[in-house]
Amino acid sequence: MPNVQSFSALRARSYVIRLPLFTRVIIVVMVAFWLAGLQSVWDLQQWGALIPEELGIRTMYRINTFPLIHLNFFHAFLNILALTPLLERFETEFGTLTSLALFFGPLTTIPAFIYVFLERMVLRGNTPVMGASIWVFLLLGMEAIRTYKMNPHLVIGTHHVPTWITPLVMVLVVEALMPSSSLIGHLCGVGTGYLFGLGYLKFTAPPEKALRWIEGRLNLLGRLPHYVSVDQKTYGRFGVLPTSTSNSGTTPLESSTKAPSTNTRRAMPRLLSTALLLRRDPRLLKLPPYLSLLCIIVGVVWLFMLPLDNYSRRTYISENALLPGQVHTYFGGSDQNVFRAYRHEVDALKDKSNSEINDELENIFKGVGLKVGRQNYTYHSAGNTYAGENVYAILQAPRGDATEALVLVAAWKNVKDEFNRNGLALALALIRYFKRWSLWSKDIILVVPPDSTTGTQAWADAYHDAHDSSQVASLPIKSGALQGAIAIDYPQEGRFESVHIVYDGVNGQLPNLDLINAVANIASGQMGMGTSLQEMWRHSDKYNDRLKTMLRGMLNQGLGYAVGPHSSFIPYHVDAITIQPVGQGWHDEMGLGRLVEGTFRSLNNLLEHLHQSFFFYLLMHKDRFVSIGTYLPSAMLIAANFTIMAIFLWIKSGRRVAAIVPADGAKESQEKQQDEPAAAQAPTTAVERDMFLPLALVVGSQFLGAVPLFIFNHTPSNLLGPAFATFSILNLLLPHLVSASGLLATFTPQQYDLARSFSLLLLGMFLSTLATLNFSLAFLVGLLASPLTFARPWPGNPLARYAYEALLALVAPPTTAVLAAVAAGTGSSGLEGLGGLEGLGGLGDALKQAAFAWDVWGVYTPVIVWGVWWPAWLVGAVVVLGRPREGKEKMS
Amino acid sequence: MNHGKMQTQATVGLYAAASALRLSLFILFPALPDLLTGRVEISTPVTSFKRFQEGLFLYNHNVSPYDGGVYHQAPLLLPLFSLLPDPAAYPIFTYLLYIVVDLLSAYALYQIAESGEAASSKLFTSPRKDKRWSGYVVAASFLFSPFTIATCLARPTSVFTTCAILHAIAKAIAGYPLTSMLALSFGAYLSMYPTLLLPPLVLLAYDRQRVDNTTPSLLQFASRCVATVSLCVSLLFSVSYLVTGSWEFIPSTYGIQLTLTDLTPNVGLWWYFFIEMFDSFRSFFLGVFWLHLSSYVGGLSIRIRSQPLVVLTLLLGIFAIFKPYPSISDASLFLAVLPLFRHVFPLMRYSFLTASTILYSTCLGPAFYHLWIYAGSGNANFFYAITLVWSLGLSLLVSDLTFAVLRDEWEVERPEMVGKEIRQI
Repeated sequence: MPNVQSFSALRARSYVIRLPLFTRVIIVVMVAFWLAGLQSVWDLQQWGALIPEELGIRTMYRINTFPLIHLNFFHAFLNILALTPLLERFETEFGTLTSLALFFGPLTTIPAFIYVFLERMVLRGNTPVMGASIWVFLLLGMEAIRTYKMNPHLVIGTHHVPTWITPLVMVLVVEALMPSSSLIGHLCGVGTGYLFGLGYLKFTAPPEKALRWIEGRLNLLGRLPHYVSVDQKTYGRFGVLPTSTSNSGTTPLESSTKAPSTNTRRAMPRLLSTALLLRRDPRLLKLPPYLSLLCIIVGVVWLFMLPLDNYSRRTYISENALLPGQVHTYFGGSDQNVFRAYRHEVDALKDKSNSEINDELENIFKGVGLKVGRQNYTYHSAGNTYAGENVYAILQAPRGDATEALVLVAAWKNVKDEFNRNGLALALALIRYFKRWSLWSKDIILVVPPDSTTGTQAWADAYHDAHDSSQVASLPIKSGALQGAIAIDYPQEGRFESVHIVYDGVNGQLPNLDLINAVANIASGQMGMGTSLQEMWRHSDKYNDRLKTMLRGMLNQGLGYAVGPHSSFIPYHVDAITIQPVGQGWHDEMGLGRLVEGTFRSLNNLLEHLHQSFFFYLLMHKDRFVSIGTYLPSAMLIAANFTIMAIFLWIKSGRRVAAIVPADGAKESQEKQQDEPAAAQAPTTAVERDMFLPLALVVGSQFLGAVPLFIFNHTPSNLLGPAFATFSILNLLLPHLVSASGLLATFTPQQYDLARSFSLLLLGMFLSTLATLNFSLAFLVGLLASPLTFARPWPGNPLARYAYEALLALVAPPTTAVLAAVAAGTGSSGLEGLGGLEGLGGLGDALKQAAFAWDVWGVYTPVIVWGVWWPAWLVGAVVVLGRPREGKEKMS
Repeated sequence: MNHGKMQTQATVGLYAAASALRLSLFILFPALPDLLTGRVEISTPVTSFKRFQEGLFLYNHNVSPYDGGVYHQAPLLLPLFSLLPDPAAYPIFTYLLYIVVDLLSAYALYQIAESGEAASSKLFTSPRKDKRWSGYVVAASFLFSPFTIATCLARPTSVFTTCAILHAIAKAIAGYPLTSMLALSFGAYLSMYPTLLLPPLVLLAYDRQRVDNTTPSLLQFASRCVATVSLCVSLLFSVSYLVTGSWEFIPSTYGIQLTLTDLTPNVGLWWYFFIEMFDSFRSFFLGVFWLHLSSYVGGLSIRIRSQPLVVLTLLLGIFAIFKPYPSISDASLFLAVLPLFRHVFPLMRYSFLTASTILYSTCLGPAFYHLWIYAGSGNANFFYAITLVWSLGLSLLVSDLTFAVLRDEWEVERPEMVGKEIRQI
C-alpha cells in the first residue's frame, strides 16, 4: 500500500531532488516521448504501442517501448504521477542496475506477452495498449503482497478483507473512472506484480555478483549522480533496519518483503506530529496581528483599485425586455401648450395651503379622467411634528388587469425645500398625455406629496400596508404591485444641459442597475442629453473622478438617509430613481418629458419584476460599475481582521498561563519534563479560562449602547446639540472613570485578552453581516474601528497607554461625528475657521436629521453606531487603560 | 436549613427577574412578539403561534381546525387556549401562560442540576464531578438565554414540549418513573419526536429507582414503562378524538411531520432537500431521513449506557439539528441541558469555534433571510447556506460533547492518560 505522506513544500522539494537515477531517466524518457508525439509527421503511438496483431519478430521492440508512450498529456501526466513514488521505492530497494534490468526485461515483457496471448488467442481482439499504467499496477501488486504478509486483513465491521485485494479494487475504480483504459492490460500488470511479490519471478533478477562486478568495473557509483548501488540499497526506504536479522545473506527480493511495514506504521504518527508541531509553533502566534494589519491594508487598497479599468466593468442592459430607446416618443408639439397651462395652474397655487392645493389637483385629475385618492399623515420626531396630505391619481391601464403599476412622483417641494414648479407641471402634462395612449399594460400612479421626505414615505408605507395607522392613514384606493417609480425633481427654470440621476435608497439599498442604465441609455442615446451621478457635474471618466463618484456614493449609502423622493420606495423592493435636470443647455421641458415617456415605455414592456442585473453595485461613472463580487472582499477583509484577532486572543488566553505553569504547578512541570520538549509543550486543554467577568464587561457595554441610542432619538431637537456635547465629553471620560473606579481591578491579563477577544468577535460578526446588507456602512465603520484591533493594555508603558488612548479618542463615534461635521462645514464654505464653526452649528441639524431619519425612514445607521461600533470602542478604550493584575492565575 | 432557605430565596429572585424581563419585553415592545412569531427561525409549521390562532379560530367557530391545512398542532391545546381570553384582545394572559411554562421548565432544570445526575450516575462517577454548576446557574442560563427569551416571546407551542421533556427527565431522576412516563407521553403527544427519548429515559428511570420498590429486571421495568406511555398516549388520543370529533388530527399533526408536506423554510436541513427532490425519490428519502434520525437512539443508549442523561442530552442536540421541523426553540432546549455537563467542559476542544459558528449563523441567518424574502437580492440558497452553518455549529457541539464525555469515561479506565493528547481513530 502506498504511504500517506504529510505534504509540505520543503519535503516535496527534497523528495524530488533525491529521486534516484533510473526513476529520473524513465520520467525524462516518458516526457520526451510525449513531446515527440506532439508532431504530426511520424505517428509515434502507432510505432511504439503494443498492438497484438502487429507483434512479429521485427516489431518485438514494442513489448519494451509501449510503457513509455502515452496517448495524451493527461495520460502521461497521471501515469508519471502514479509511477514516480512506486518506482523510486523499488529502485532504492533493489538498486539502479537491477531496476534497469528488470524493467527492460521480465517486468515489462512478461505482462506484455500475457496480454498479447490473452488478446490474440482468448479474446481474438486487437486492442492496442500503451502507457506506464501497467508498471504502476505491477508495482502496486508487489506492494500489496508485501502488505498482505505483514498485515493480512483489513477489518471492516466484522468482515476481514484481505489486503492483497486493494490493487484489484483500484483496477476496477480506474476502469470505471478513466475512459478507454485497458482492464486486461492492468490485470496482467497486477498479476505479474503478485507473482513477483510472491517470489516466483525472482529467478529473473540478475545475480548480485554480476551486478557488483559491472558496478565495480565501470565505477558507476562515482560517475553517475543519484545512482543507487547494489550495496548501498537500503531495505526499506527510510533507512530503517529490517526487523529480521536474517537478511544479511539473503537476496533483497526475499528480505524486502518484510521491511515496508514499519514505514506504513510510521507515516500516520509523523503526519500528525507535524501538524501538532505546527500548531504549537510559537512563531505561529506572532503572526495574527500582522495578518490583521495586512487584512486592513489589503481591504483599503482593494477599494482604491476598484476605479481602475481592470476591476470595474462597463454597464449593460441585461433585461432584454426593457428595450430602452427603441420606441418613438411623441410627447411634444401641442403638449407644450398643455404644459404651460398646467404651469400657470401650479403657479396660482403656490402660496395656498396643502389641502387647498390638493383640492385643486384633485379637480385637475378628475378632469383628466383619473381616480383620485388622498392620504393624511403625521410624523413626530425629536419634538417636531411633520404633517401633510398626499394626493395621488391612478391611470388604469387599458391593456392591463390592475395587477401591476408604475409610479410617477412629483413632489410639491424637493429635498432642498425648493418649489418643484416645472416638475409638477410636467408630471400633470405627462399624465394627461399618457391617458390618451392605449398601450399601457400597467397602471400608472401619479403621486403628489407635499414634500420629498415624509410624503412619499407615508404613501409607500401605506401602499404596502406597513404603516402605523395611528400616524399614517390608509390609502382609499390602490392598484397592483409596484414595478418601478420615477420621481421628477425640476425646480430650476429654463433649459437644461443634462440629467442627474439620484439612486440611493434608504439604508443604502439600491434600485436595480438596469433601471439606471435604461434611463442613461435613453438620455444619451435617444435624447442626446448628458447623464451625471452623485453630483459630479463634470466627469472626466479618469481615475480621480471615478473614485470621487464612488466614494460619494459610498458615503450616501453608508449614512443611509433618503436622498430624494424615490428613496422611500426602494425598501419595498420597488426600483426607483429621481431625475433632476441640471446645468444650462439646449434641452427643454419637452425633452425631459420624452425621457420620462421613454422610461415608462421601457418599464411598460417588463414581463416580470426587474430581477436580472445587479442590486449590489458601486457606480463610478454613468457606464462604469463594480459588482458585489469584486468589491465585497474589501469590507469582508476588514471585518475578518477583527475575527482573526479574536481567534488569536482566544488561543493566547488559553496558552499564556501554560508558560507560568512551571512556577506553581509542580505536578504539571514534572509531567512535562518527561515528555519531549517540543512535542508536548502545553497540553492544549489544560488551561481553564475565567470567562465570566470579560463576558459581563462585553455584554454590559453592548447593552449600554441602548442609552445613547435612546437619548439621541428621543431628545427634543433644541436640546440635541447640548445633549450631544455632554455625551461626547462624558464618553471620552468614561473609560478613565471605569478604570479609575476599580471595577476592573481584579482583571488578569487573561481576562483582558478574553474581553478583547469577545468584543472583537462580536464586532467582526456584526460587520460581516452588515457587509451583505450595506457594504458602505460596514466598510466605513470597520475602517474607523480598525485601531481597536491593536488596542491592548500597556501595563509598563504609560506613554504608549495614553498615546493609544488619545488615538482611540480620535476615532470615537462622537468625535468622528464632530470631525465629520467640521470637515463638511469647511468643505462647503471657503473660510476655514468660520466653516468649522458652521459645521458645529450644522451638527445640531445633522442630529435632528438623524433622529428624523430614524423615526420616519427607519434608517438603522444609529443602531450600528451605538450598538456595534460604540460598545466595541468602549471595551477597546477600557482595555487600553487597563492595568492587569499579574500572576496568581487559576489552573484547572 | 438556613442555607436551603437562602437558596430558595435566590431561586425565587431568579424566577422573578426572568418573568419581569419577559413581561417588560412584552409590554415595552408590543410589536416584538408578533414580529418574532413571524420569524421562520422560531415558528415552524408544527409550532407556529400564528397558525395556532387560525386553528383556534376555526375551533371556536365549530369548524374542524384541520380544515384549510394551516393548523398542524395537537388538538388538546385548543380547549386549553380557548379557556384563555382572546389573545388578540387580551394578550397578557397568553404572555403569562408562556412565562409560567418557561418557569416550570426552569424549575425542572433546577431539579435535574441539583440531583448531580449529570456527573455521577448509578453506574458511573466522573472524577471531575466536583466541578459543577448549581441548579441556580443552570436555571439562570436557561432563563436568560437569548434563544429561550426569543422563543418565549414568539410563543410557539414547542415550549410545552420542552417543559414536558424536562419534567420527564426531572421526575425520572427523582425516582418517579410513572410520572416521568406521563410527562413524556405529553411531550410525545404534542410533538411526536419525544417518543424517541423513551429508551434512554427508561434507562435513567431504572437507574434512579427508589430503593424500596426496586423492580429487579430491566426488561420488566421497560415493558411497564412502555405500557404506561402507550396507555397515556392512547388516552390522550381518545380525548382528542372526543374534542375534534374525528381522527383527522392524526394525519394533520403527526402525518405532516412524517411526510413533510409543508415545506416552509426553517433552520433545519429537510425543507430545501425535499424542495429540490424529484417526487419519485421522495418516499425513499423520507424513510432515509427518519431512519437516520432514529438510528442514534439505539447506538447512543447502548454505548453510553452508564450515563443515560448524557444520551438524552445528545439526542436533544441531534433532534435540534435533524428533526423535520427544528427551530431555535429546540436548540434552546439543548443549550439548556448542556450546562449540566460543566464537569466535562475542560475536555471539549472546539468550544470557541462552536460558539462563534453559532453566533455567526444567528447573526447572518436573519440577514440572509431578509435578502432573500424582502430585499429580493438574494435567493433561497443564501438562507439554506446559513442553516447549514447553523447545523454545523450544533453538530460540532454535539460531537464535541460526545467526545468530552467519552474521554471522561476513558480516563477512569486509563488514569495514566489524564491530560495527554489523544485522538480519535
